[in-house]
Amino acid sequence: MDLANYKKVWKNQPEEKNKISALEIYKMTKEKSNSIVKWIFIVGILEFVFWFAINYLSTKNGALEPYEKLKLISFIENFNYFHYVLVVIFLILFYRNFSLISTVDDTKTLMKNILLVRKTVKWYVYYNLINVVVFSIILNILIFNTPDGINILSGIDNESFNQEHMVSVFIIVQIVFIAIMILILWFFYYLLYGILLKKLNKNYKELTKLNEVS
Amino acid sequence: MQTQLEKNFLNDFEKNQNIVHKICRIYTTNQDEHNDLFQEITIQVWKNYSKFRGEAKFSTWMYRVALNTAISLFRKSKRNIKTQDFSDVSFKIKSVDYDDTKDKQLKALYRGIKELNDIEKALIFLYLEDKPYKEIAKTLGISEVNARVKMNRSKDKLRKILNP
Repeated sequence: MDLANYKKVWKNQPEEKNKISALEIYKMTKEKSNSIVKWIFIVGILEFVFWFAINYLSTKNGALEPYEKLKLISFIENFNYFHYVLVVIFLILFYRNFSLISTVDDTKTLMKNILLVRKTVKWYVYYNLINVVVFSIILNILIFNTPDGINILSGIDNESFNQEHMVSVFIIVQIVFIAIMILILWFFYYLLYGILLKKLNKNYKELTKLNEVS
Repeated sequence: MQTQLEKNFLNDFEKNQNIVHKICRIYTTNQDEHNDLFQEITIQVWKNYSKFRGEAKFSTWMYRVALNTAISLFRKSKRNIKTQDFSDVSFKIKSVDYDDTKDKQLKALYRGIKELNDIEKALIFLYLEDKPYKEIAKTLGISEVNARVKMNRSKDKLRKILNP
């Protein structure tokens, strides 16, 4: 049987027997959406909050006190002002791209706009990771160039303490911290976004792939 | 108390719900998923209903929102995994004048479509619904030429599935 005949069968198929009543439809309109877009928004906001909290907490609760002794406080403050300006720019971009999403658009545009929101958040996370690494490197250079920098920072001023041992511990702690950051990044991207956007990415590629010569 | 907008929406949606049921049948594998997708499409159509200006027919506009929801927005709920696959159970769509052969052919067609990917499903669905290429291209956001090429491939794939 060819497709034209199947088309006739399709066209003559009886209407759905279990029709949904107007009242049930009305109730459905009051339910909350469980769409991918909603979850991308929630995950995106959580990422903004997460990175903002990391940055905010690292400058609170007396965490900056040792840096005051090292006279690095103005450097840290300027770095933070720059950071907050960029966070605001990212938030504006996130909101703007999110508001572009419309289910009334054609399928390709809709998918492109959903993926654009995800890209904004991706660049925000990349920026934060680079920020952490660059900030750590500059700070390390400044600390190592300050006499007794590590001792002041760690609060240990015992000269009998093995200086080389202290440097090793200091570096290992920072490597572990960055490794944890990368692990969290992996969690967000390959686990969370992987689950949320696997189908969308596949469909977008399918729709936009060029007509390869068969 | 329903507003006039709600009344118009319910009237339009109720009349055209068969389109939504057909989309749910091709994009889901069991009754729970069918119900979830139906609900999500209802929410999306309602959310965007105020943007519907009546330039096109409501049904034409609804095809786009419903297909977009099925292809791009719908998340399958985990609780549905263990429920029965409805491709093996009888559709609840039989009527007195509907014979068994046609019923079997319709089931075979639905089973065949289910083996296609999401984009191919949309193309075949719009073909079966007799939509012109211009509208298919506009709905999916691709060129008419591209729509024709993709449609031919989807049809070939479906033919092979239906007539192995």
